[in-house]
Amino acid sequence: MKNQYKTQLVKILKIEEEGSESKLFTIKAPKDFKFKGGQFIQVSLPGFGEAPFSICSDPNQKKSFEICARKTGVLTSELHKIKKGESVGIRGPYGAPFPIKLVEKRDLLLVAGGLGIEPLRPIILEILNNRKKYQKVQLLYGACEEKDLLFSGEYEKWRSGLEFFLTLDKPKDISGNLPKKWKCQTGVVTDLFDRAKIYRNAVAFLCGPPVMYKFVIKKLKELEFKDEDIYLSLERRMHCGVGVCNHCAVGSFSVCKDGPVFSWERIKDIRGAI
Amino acid sequence: MLLLNIIVRYFFIMTIIELRKFIDFLIERDYLVWTPVKKDNFVNYERLNGSDNFQFIGEAPFYSFKNFLVPCEETLFNYKKDELTEIDNSKDQVIFGINPVDLKALVLLNHIFEKDPWYQGRMKKTLIIGQSLIPKEPEHNIFHYKYEEDVLEHLQFDIFIEVQKGVFNTKYFFYTGSEKGQKILDEYGYSEYENIQFAGPIKEEGQDKNMIKYRDSLKNNYKKELWEKDLGTKCIECGKCSAICPTCFCFDIKDQPDLKNGAGERKRTLSSCFYSDFSEISGKYKFLNNTAERIYFWYYHKFVKIPDEFSIPGCVGCGRCAKVCPVGINIFKVLSELDNNEESIQDTIS
Ligand SMILES: Cc1cc2nc3c(=O)[nH]c(=O)nc-3n(C[C@H](O)[C@H](O)[C@H](O)COP(=O)(O)OP(=O)(O)OC[C@H]3O[C@@H](n4cnc5c(N)ncnc54)[C@H](O)[C@@H]3O)c2cc1C
Ligand code: SF4
Ligand code: SF4
Ligand code: FES
Repeated sequence: MKNQYKTQLVKILKIEEEGSESKLFTIKAPKDFKFKGGQFIQVSLPGFGEAPFSICSDPNQKKSFEICARKTGVLTSELHKIKKGESVGIRGPYGAPFPIKLVEKRDLLLVAGGLGIEPLRPIILEILNNRKKYQKVQLLYGACEEKDLLFSGEYEKWRSGLEFFLTLDKPKDISGNLPKKWKCQTGVVTDLFDRAKIYRNAVAFLCGPPVMYKFVIKKLKELEFKDEDIYLSLERRMHCGVGVCNHCAVGSFSVCKDGPVFSWERIKDIRGAI
Repeated sequence: MLLLNIIVRYFFIMTIIELRKFIDFLIERDYLVWTPVKKDNFVNYERLNGSDNFQFIGEAPFYSFKNFLVPCEETLFNYKKDELTEIDNSKDQVIFGINPVDLKALVLLNHIFEKDPWYQGRMKKTLIIGQSLIPKEPEHNIFHYKYEEDVLEHLQFDIFIEVQKGVFNTKYFFYTGSEKGQKILDEYGYSEYENIQFAGPIKEEGQDKNMIKYRDSLKNNYKKELWEKDLGTKCIECGKCSAICPTCFCFDIKDQPDLKNGAGERKRTLSSCFYSDFSEISGKYKFLNNTAERIYFWYYHKFVKIPDEFSIPGCVGCGRCAKVCPVGINIFKVLSELDNNEESIQDTIS
């Protein structure tokens, strides 16, 4: 029988530094590999285990895809040692994506905190590449420090197609100023809600840490967003990735299979969901 | 005609002597035959090497059949550098004499591991032989299940043996629940069995009433006192209840490197949501932060998540968890507390 845990070896085509602790890996896509923004893969490095990573590239790009991994522990440290031309094992893509179809007809608000920009990048790139298909789009992105900014080489391109607001928690230099080139401000991502004039009746896609969700959802509710118009991606510990091991359970859902993207409507009553 | 049929059937029904012959046949066929055996007042599964003195035990075995199908630890793959090789750990075995309460747990595991190649590989080589004696200790059948012939179509087995105690002797009626079961009986040369078609786990009268009751209570009526004051302070998170429970299956997948460079095994080990790293992600961040949250998660999985996913209860009421708990947490009392609409908190310790 088909073995869901069997990995496929794929070649690393390119490795770039992203921010100070992350690397962007361009990986040769296996035959018939298709994904949507918000989905993830399990990366396997025998001896170091497996871990989930969001696919962060343009879904229209068929020959290769990208993941951006921050070095935080055992597996990610080993992943950072890999060289171009070497291979890793993968399985997936897994999980429920952000409902991009929904925003062909509606305005879109993207809110990202820290690494949360990763699963939203496929959405950004898809929209920029097919700009006419979509409506108005705003992106609010908050990171901790300048060194944590991801995909900074693309910000000009992003700005060309969507309203992009950027904020950093901690200013960089001693004088407390932020380098002008980022066109950003200081503060947390919710502060941007007072700056940007958020579109009413938009759909919101969020990705960030649980604390961000608490504050952002509060803001969105003040702006009268409906619970079913708010989508967020949850992070949980994962082992199987296919809805069996129960490490990622949230209420009656398995984040790996029923999520990671959920509408707020579906999870708002679950204790400990955010 | 009907009477004649019954009489004819009666004469062909197995007696204990014939049943033992059937067991010897299985042993001769090189099956590992596991069955509950009682020694020094302790009932547990043991491997049978012969059928001498074999009897079905009407008491719950200390451990369930679980680890014969889902071992505490198993190798999924061997790896060498980047290459994974799937490992087949299955062997021909018979689990002989699973009681109807535990067979309900088997139905659940079959669902959970439906797409799992190792579980399915093992099931292919395993003969599941059930028997009808409900554990006679009430604490090992907390939902008061009874054995009635019509439960059989909602259970999964290869062969099921109904034990009929008569005045003079005990007789054994045979049912089959799979082609594999029929085949082995045909090969043995016994044809007086009746085949039962599995009709799914849910009975005609609808979903389990207890399941609906406890699900509602857990979902809609969070009992702060019970979880946070009572259970949350008493449970010592030893995980024994998970290990012994026939329906606890949560697992980790981990790599274990060999001494040889670049080689090793990818393993699956049974885990427990009571362990503090169960929900931990990088940066030591946890989603289950304390004992109260963990024990609530355990109950929620059994009494809400599994019912929501499969429409069957995640607990069969075998009472094993209460038996092994070092601080005396008793599931029967916890459930009565859930069922109790007053916020009064009684001691849930036995
Ligand atoms: C859906 C999803 C998408 C993700 N996308 C990205 C991404 O795009 N980029 C990125 O840098 N990180 C991402 N992460 C987090 C990433 O999976 C963890 O950083 C990674 O597992 C850490 O592994 P480690 O061995 O280096 O860390 P360690 O801290 O050494 O991990 C030790 C153990 O904890 C487990 N573990 C730790 N953190 C996590 C976690 N978050 N999820 C599951 N298991 C964990 C691992 O299985 C491992 O066994 C994502 C997580 C999820 C759930
Ligand atoms: S939770 Fe306790 S009573 Fe229920 S099946 Fe598991 S061990 Fe048996
Ligand atoms: S056996 Fe008792 S003490 Fe141990 S984890 Fe289970 S409930 Fe807690
Ligand atoms: S990772 Fe195993 S159930 Fe989600």
